[in-house]
Amino acid sequence: MSRKIIKSKTYLYDEKIETIAEVPEKELELLPLNKDLKIIGKKIPRVDAEEKVTGTAVYTFDKSFTNIAYGKTLRSPHPFAKIESIDTSKAEKLKGVLKILTYKNAPDIGWYGSYSKLLDQTVRYEGDEVAFIVAETEAIAEKAMSLIDVKYKELDFVTDTLEAIKDNAPKIYEDSNIPKTRGHAHYSRGNFEEGIKNADVVIERDYTTQVAIHNPTEPHGSVVKWEDDQLIVWDSTQGVFSIRDTIANSLNMPESKVRVIKEYMGGGFGAKLEAGKYSVMAAIASKEIKRPVKVILDRKAMNLAVGNRPDSHQKIKAGAKKDGTLTAMGLTNYGTMGAYPAGAGAHWPLRSLYKCDNIETNEYRVFTNTGRARPFRAPGHVQGTFALESILDDLAEKIDMDPLEFRIKNFTPIDQDSKRPYTSKKLIEAYKMGAKAINWESRKPAGASDGIVKRGLGFASQIWWGGGSPPAYATVKMNRDGSVQVLCGTQDLGTGTYTIISQITAEVLEIPIDTIDVLIGDTQATPYAPSSGGSTTAPSISPAVYDAALQMKAKLIASASAVLDIPGKELTYSNGKIFETKNESNSITNPKLIRKMRERVLIATGARNQNTDKYAINTFGVQFADVEVNTLTGKVKVNKIVAAHDIGRTLNRLTLENQFHGGIIMGLSFALMDERVIDEYTGKVLTTNYHDYKMPTIKETPEIEVIIVSENDPLVSATGVKGIGEPAMIPTPGAIANAVYNAIGVRINSLPITPDKILTALNSRG
Amino acid sequence: MAQKINFILNNVELSVESATGKTLLDFIRKDAKLTGTKEGCCREGDCGACTVLIGEIINDELHYKSVNSCLYPIGKVNGKHVVTIEGINSDELTPVQHAYTEENASQCGFCTPGFIISTTGYLLKNDKPNIDSAINAVAGNVCRCTGYVSIKRALNDIVEEMKLYDNSDNVITELISKKYIPEYFSTIKERLKRLEIIELKESNKTLIVGGGTDLYVQREDDLKNEDLVFVSADAAEKIYKEGNSIFITGSTTFQELAHSDVIKELIPNIEEVNKLIASLPIRNSATIAGNIVNASPIADMTIILLTLNTALHLNDNRTVPLREFFLGYKTLAKSETEIIEKIEIQIPEGKTLFNFEKVSKRTHLDIASVNSAFIISLEDKKIVSCGLSIGGVAPIPLFLKETSAYLEGKDLDTETIKGALKIIDKEISPISDVRGSAEYKRLLAKQMFKSHFIKLFPDKISVEDL
Ligand SMILES: Cc1cc2nc3c(=O)[nH]c(=O)nc-3n(C[C@H](O)[C@H](O)[C@H](O)COP(=O)(O)OP(=O)(O)OC[C@H]3O[C@@H](n4cnc5c(N)ncnc54)[C@H](O)[C@@H]3O)c2cc1C
Ligand code: FES
Ligand code: FES
Repeated sequence: MSRKIIKSKTYLYDEKIETIAEVPEKELELLPLNKDLKIIGKKIPRVDAEEKVTGTAVYTFDKSFTNIAYGKTLRSPHPFAKIESIDTSKAEKLKGVLKILTYKNAPDIGWYGSYSKLLDQTVRYEGDEVAFIVAETEAIAEKAMSLIDVKYKELDFVTDTLEAIKDNAPKIYEDSNIPKTRGHAHYSRGNFEEGIKNADVVIERDYTTQVAIHNPTEPHGSVVKWEDDQLIVWDSTQGVFSIRDTIANSLNMPESKVRVIKEYMGGGFGAKLEAGKYSVMAAIASKEIKRPVKVILDRKAMNLAVGNRPDSHQKIKAGAKKDGTLTAMGLTNYGTMGAYPAGAGAHWPLRSLYKCDNIETNEYRVFTNTGRARPFRAPGHVQGTFALESILDDLAEKIDMDPLEFRIKNFTPIDQDSKRPYTSKKLIEAYKMGAKAINWESRKPAGASDGIVKRGLGFASQIWWGGGSPPAYATVKMNRDGSVQVLCGTQDLGTGTYTIISQITAEVLEIPIDTIDVLIGDTQATPYAPSSGGSTTAPSISPAVYDAALQMKAKLIASASAVLDIPGKELTYSNGKIFETKNESNSITNPKLIRKMRERVLIATGARNQNTDKYAINTFGVQFADVEVNTLTGKVKVNKIVAAHDIGRTLNRLTLENQFHGGIIMGLSFALMDERVIDEYTGKVLTTNYHDYKMPTIKETPEIEVIIVSENDPLVSATGVKGIGEPAMIPTPGAIANAVYNAIGVRINSLPITPDKILTALNSRG
Repeated sequence: MAQKINFILNNVELSVESATGKTLLDFIRKDAKLTGTKEGCCREGDCGACTVLIGEIINDELHYKSVNSCLYPIGKVNGKHVVTIEGINSDELTPVQHAYTEENASQCGFCTPGFIISTTGYLLKNDKPNIDSAINAVAGNVCRCTGYVSIKRALNDIVEEMKLYDNSDNVITELISKKYIPEYFSTIKERLKRLEIIELKESNKTLIVGGGTDLYVQREDDLKNEDLVFVSADAAEKIYKEGNSIFITGSTTFQELAHSDVIKELIPNIEEVNKLIASLPIRNSATIAGNIVNASPIADMTIILLTLNTALHLNDNRTVPLREFFLGYKTLAKSETEIIEKIEIQIPEGKTLFNFEKVSKRTHLDIASVNSAFIISLEDKKIVSCGLSIGGVAPIPLFLKETSAYLEGKDLDTETIKGALKIIDKEISPISDVRGSAEYKRLLAKQMFKSHFIKLFPDKISVEDL
């Protein structure tokens, strides 16, 4: 099938990302609805489950070679310091120490743009890299670490975001802590002041959200190995190509010589999208000592140095008319990037979720002496939605309107920036079905439930992108026995990528799913596919896999036509076999055909289609929470969450539910538990392990009901798939916060909502 | 300091040369190179990725329990059976593995072997499975991906399937026949009996280990190359009644305490209380004596025992009342080498009522911000005797001597409680830390005190009155 080269636009945050991509010349035939399909949409257990339940799946954490050496990173104990001297001589003398890198002997490689180096003489947060030690065993490397004598000149530091913006605060760089370039982002439409004037009620509130750490169960890490001049890196990563390019660039070598492989990996949630210094340091050391090197971060490093969800300090002013029309919303927000540049905004939901003609937002990204932020499942949207949905509930209460009716009143069918209609926005349906499932009718006024344990209901909505985009490619190979291999440069983070690729291929080629083998996460073996972030994996790669499988089918039919000497039009493909439509006995199976063709492997490569220009592609949804609050102890228990979303086609009901459950529990965690705590006097993080950094266990898991209101989104792609990983988490904290308010009648405007805050709030009310 | 330790790892008899303080996890992953057992890189009992089963013969019966191998000294497996995920696997998936597969109860899968082991261990322990206790058994396994709902479904499938079976006398035979565990489990009991048990040497008399669940979190580096002192389980009965006292031996674990009929007479809801403490694999290891000696101001079992007249019997024949044991923050009325052999509780006279409260950021598997225990005995309306303790509000686990004394002899009414609240305010001195501000803890302590009465006397005391 022919291809064309196009300019492709995708939207993510403020960026209208323009890529040049190769896409199918013609629109593909649309995949039928799930009810007419055999494998797609069904509850197919994941194809890699067996390795996981038997513990035979090998993670980077488990990878080993006979002569492997171990790397450890010495990290700064201070939030801000200059290394005055560093003496590694004692450590080097220790038996078993193979190599030590410090800023003195490490190659000069820029990191975080030009803000730092692979190993820098200035360290800007507790956890910043100081030295890299490679030794025969981890224990020796650790011992060596304690023998390195570093003299630091400690500098005045600031770890609190709102302190850092004060004039007299210590500066992390010469420039102010809000950098002159891209430190401030402004957005407006309509006239905010005018909108406020036209409102019947106006309220203004402050909201804060905490810094949260991804904390996947498998820590970050790499195993590196040189084979002549080729570097092989096994990495626990969300993006093999992005890792490859950073490593090749850092080491100044051809990308073709760096092979990045991701086999099994234990979760990422955004933290594993970019390359870590550890991979590059390990590669440098490995080359020198001529042995493979393994480096795995410990839990403390995980909590200090590999990213977080930045905090937010949001001031929102919003006005509405008595009839429920939102007239204006304004937001000022400060969020910390940490010590190096990163995203830290939260304004998108306020700007796009509801119809409002007058918007003004001012956001500031602030440097502090803390670990740098990284994308974390729906960056900005989780924080922003919590604040937005809290203030909207307050507004609704003020004008005495049911909060659900208030949202429906301010529904917008178009994207208010581009004025384009959405490909699909079944949010009203979602409201209706969700409200019914949670029994919204039974909701009482705030604080009206009696007894010590009070019950409340609340909800919040969600907007996200997640439409995917080109470029993304997949190759389907069919062998002579009819077995198939699908190659794609994507990753499976546990999300089920292996499974959905198998399903699509099995559906189109009508062959048993266990005759399909999927190879992903290997830069050397697979065609390109993007990193797995932004809920774009399934929407980007599913059309490419579908295209490749369709082409394979077309190729088989065309070949059969030649072999059987019957025009292709008169042939039917069914269950791995091609036959003459009017005479089924005149047939040939795939294996026989390929044998006849004297081919050994048939190949077809598919590409992701171009995105539409006429519509905006987004996902929508609502979540309702049913909670109870013990007013004696301040404990919150979430009884039930109902999630009703418009997310295009369901590829696999099991993996879909997994994503929703996981996202919702992560949202619950953000609402009630997750929190990095820093001691303001020492600048040190107090929550560096699972003991102090709490995440839910199975006992905190409420009942969860997932309702999908969409069947398909054919305007997006032939598969009609949109992403769900992030949409699943976005509304949960807002829904829980609103339910807590409904239960106790007191607002907690800062996350996480802990027993501490509830009890204090209840008590200060008297 | 290596010495010989004999045990069975899965289906293989091993004789390992090692310091007894090395963690079982390091042995399994690094020496035995079995990588199915994961390390959630917490190494402090908080993730459950490293869970393994320990089998031992007790009263001529083979019993299994789950433990966190990251906190388990290899010396403690001397003469025992260690089961990792590799020891569960056979040619086809076990019904547990099958249920996890069918319900998609695994995403990235890094936590999964830990869940499979916890679930299998649960079946080995319970002949009458039900969903609540099954959930409890995996409450020490953290999963950041699945949101647990699919895991609950898998547990439910497993429990339902188990209900279909007749309960035979022997769980192990039963589970083998249903292919939950491999055939070789049937030979373990005999093979354990044949193991040559070598008495372990001790290199450092101050390194006394009960369950290790505090020690390994606090100072693994000091332990891993040493030969430790293991608190032995010599007595035939771990918990027994003698005269007017209950005796708890030094190696008694939380789980053993919670299932003791003797204790249930005194604290009927001890099983429920126990579930609020740590996780099952921790409770399978953690000892009452260790909880006391660790002297954390919020130690749950210690807080409970403080309400009672409790005395500690040390190995040099000294006896110290528990209420006089804590001299200051982590300073004890005991030398570094003294071992608690027995804990004696005087059984209070008359009918007593007991209540325990605990508030933490996360309800389960979390250390309390504040906890409190209360025991009371009434005659008509009069408080005959009582004991109140509160944790997290002083440098030591605190018995509130004055408040308790104030309450005794008074009528049970709102006035009395209000009066006591004033004394509590004076007796406690909380400080701010990660688990809450000082003011919050003060508030919480008083709320808990009220809660004791509201829960124990719902007809007499209501929240509105207070
Ligand atoms: C994940 C996790 C969760 C936890 N949750 C809780 C909780 O909810 N509530 C709670 O109270 N605790 C909790 N703990 C703490 C710990 O489990 C308990 O304090 C436990 O009772 C310690 O007992 P152990 O036998 O493991 O002590 P060990 O670690 O073996 O020893 C602790 C101290 O006691 C000494 N010691 C032990 N036995 C004796 C003896 N017989 N005589 C003299 N000295 C002795 C040791 O030398 C050491 O100093 C938790 C721990 C972990 C890892
Ligand atoms: S490694 Fe986390 S509990 Fe053992
Ligand atoms: S499946 Fe990833 S941590 Fe449980």
